[in-house]
Amino acid sequence: MLAALWVQTTEEEDARRELERLLLLTGQGNREAFGLLYAKTRGAVYALALSLLGDAHEAQDIAQDAYVRVWESAPSYRPQGSPMAWLLTVTRNLARSRLRQNGRQTTLDEEAWNAIPAAPPGVSPEDRQVLQEALARLEPEERQIILLHAISGLKHREIAQLLERPLSTVLSKYHRGLKKMKALMKGESDQ
Amino acid sequence: MNDRELERKLADAVTRAAPDDLEAILSRCGAQNGSVMEMNQLISNESTKIARAKSRRAARPWLAAACAALVLLGTGGGGLLYHQSHAVASVVSLDVNPSIELKVNRNEKVISCTALNTEAAAVLFDMGGGADLAGTKLDVAVNAIVGALVREGYLDSISSAILISVEDNNQERAQRLQAELVASVDGVLQAQAPGTSVLSQVLTVDAGTKPVVYGEGLSLGKAALVEKVLAMNGAGEKAFDQLAALSVEELNDLLKAGEKRIPIGKSAAATAAETYAGTLALDSVTTDVDPELDEFPPHYEVKLKTARGEFEYIVDAFTGQVLSGPKDPLASGADTNPPSPGTDTPVSPDASAPQTPSSGAQGEDVGQEAAKQAALSHAGLSASDVTDWKVKREWDDGRLEYEIEFWCGTDEYDYTIDGHSCSVLKHELERHPHQDGTHHGGSVSGITLEAAKAAALSHAGLQESQVWDMKAEMDYDDGRLEYEVEFKSGGMEYEYTIDGVTGNILSFERETDD
Repeated sequence: MLAALWVQTTEEEDARRELERLLLLTGQGNREAFGLLYAKTRGAVYALALSLLGDAHEAQDIAQDAYVRVWESAPSYRPQGSPMAWLLTVTRNLARSRLRQNGRQTTLDEEAWNAIPAAPPGVSPEDRQVLQEALARLEPEERQIILLHAISGLKHREIAQLLERPLSTVLSKYHRGLKKMKALMKGESDQ
Repeated sequence: MNDRELERKLADAVTRAAPDDLEAILSRCGAQNGSVMEMNQLISNESTKIARAKSRRAARPWLAAACAALVLLGTGGGGLLYHQSHAVASVVSLDVNPSIELKVNRNEKVISCTALNTEAAAVLFDMGGGADLAGTKLDVAVNAIVGALVREGYLDSISSAILISVEDNNQERAQRLQAELVASVDGVLQAQAPGTSVLSQVLTVDAGTKPVVYGEGLSLGKAALVEKVLAMNGAGEKAFDQLAALSVEELNDLLKAGEKRIPIGKSAAATAAETYAGTLALDSVTTDVDPELDEFPPHYEVKLKTARGEFEYIVDAFTGQVLSGPKDPLASGADTNPPSPGTDTPVSPDASAPQTPSSGAQGEDVGQEAAKQAALSHAGLSASDVTDWKVKREWDDGRLEYEIEFWCGTDEYDYTIDGHSCSVLKHELERHPHQDGTHHGGSVSGITLEAAKAAALSHAGLQESQVWDMKAEMDYDDGRLEYEVEFKSGGMEYEYTIDGVTGNILSFERETDD
């Protein structure tokens, strides 16, 4: 298992380097690189926007705004180790500003998660349903942390920084949420 | 389902759920904010540079040009646009052995793509001889060409090299293009031909108007590389043509090794091997030549692919002498087993050649088991101690070798064993104390669960007898071994994360037990 983890860590490093490269190229006006950057990161950006805004349409809007902002600001981007964290910080700021404008903070309801498509690769229909239900039953912050860790590849300390929460809170919510999800999924599959 | 699998499934599912709005986003992307770019940040660390960008100043003139182009697009300034799109701003050449030249306008669109030699013409055959690439973006064209070079087998050996040269009278633009192309080509090659070195250089020539100095078939980029070799070996201009006929990989090897002699070239090496093997007249035999000019002795590895299998020959890089490989392998009754230099003595081996692999005294193949045993004895281990065996039998410099790898706990052993004498040629021990030894049959290194509990208790200033509901488990976070320890005491709930290797407290939380 550790060999697998080691490979995974190397993959994460490679992925970071690749994002850094694409972001720098984007900063030079390279639209192909920007397209690739979008393809590699849109899941994480959308997931963060959705978890902050609790509305699929709003999340889609903010994700679009975030990429336009990334395009405009990429020339002044300086490599600082985590391009994904930078991207998500841009998204977070836009989402917060939208929430301020709207004067409200919504809680994501179960329905919003029904956006998980019918046949995502590597996910059986049973898993999909269980994933959705399990996600819907998590506390909003647990869900946010788990999704960010799973999709963005951010480390816990980076998530803590992004969400402006103590690392210990992020760690405990992550572990609790994951345990909850596993228990829920195990319960479902036992039935 | 473990944590990792669960996260993977989640990531897959949510990524698929995210809407794909790229087109809408692109339609909203206009001019970018001002930029100050560090060009060297784009260049892969693994890439070897012949010349590196020297100026690190802002790329503002280019940006101004890009903005001007955008404004003109909006206002219909057709005349200037036409001029811009047809004026050569940069010339980019790609050299492996095929040499290809791309003329590019200031908007980085390809104006023309030319094959400079016959090998290049074959590579560009499927792209209308290069005509199909006109009008495409430079990076798209370069990626297409590199893909074709890989498909045609020009970049498949572990030591292949491609040279990217950018000629431009605008240094800043040249450096930017160089950085972009190196990064892009490196990206393609890492996936398709990971052993390839990417060389790059910027040439300060007034692009598009340069006088033809080196004649047909040679890019200015390769000519500059040849000049570098000439400067190193002092052979003088008379050797220029001889060196220009070599591939970029060979030229690069010469520079790396500081080798002043001029090698015979891949094609002469193939002919030498085929003459020795008696296959020169056979059309069905194909050759694959890999220069190893930075090895000792410098040589070419020539593989003959025949109906009766593959045969490998080692050809001296300067004399053309065949140092090892079977003679006449296709003659009736010849041994078609893997080439054995020990039994097939080549003609008049060079007595001065170091470590002639064709002495004829190396004997039989000792076999895999004996080689494994030799490695184990050297390591002082027995077969039951080790796991994850990997054994590779191969020929290196005309010598049969066994590359052996195995694990003992968290220690990784690598051996190279002589296939004839069983002697240990090379050995390496790498310890991985932070890895999970259980994968490799050993024990987990680092602190125990009890030590993790003790660390948490000590931090909380409590004795085990003072706490209840104590839970402790081992976990991995981002590849790091950790312990999660929880307990309750005095109306409070404690949660700790302890580093599984050092025992340090990574995080702790104390809250009211409700």
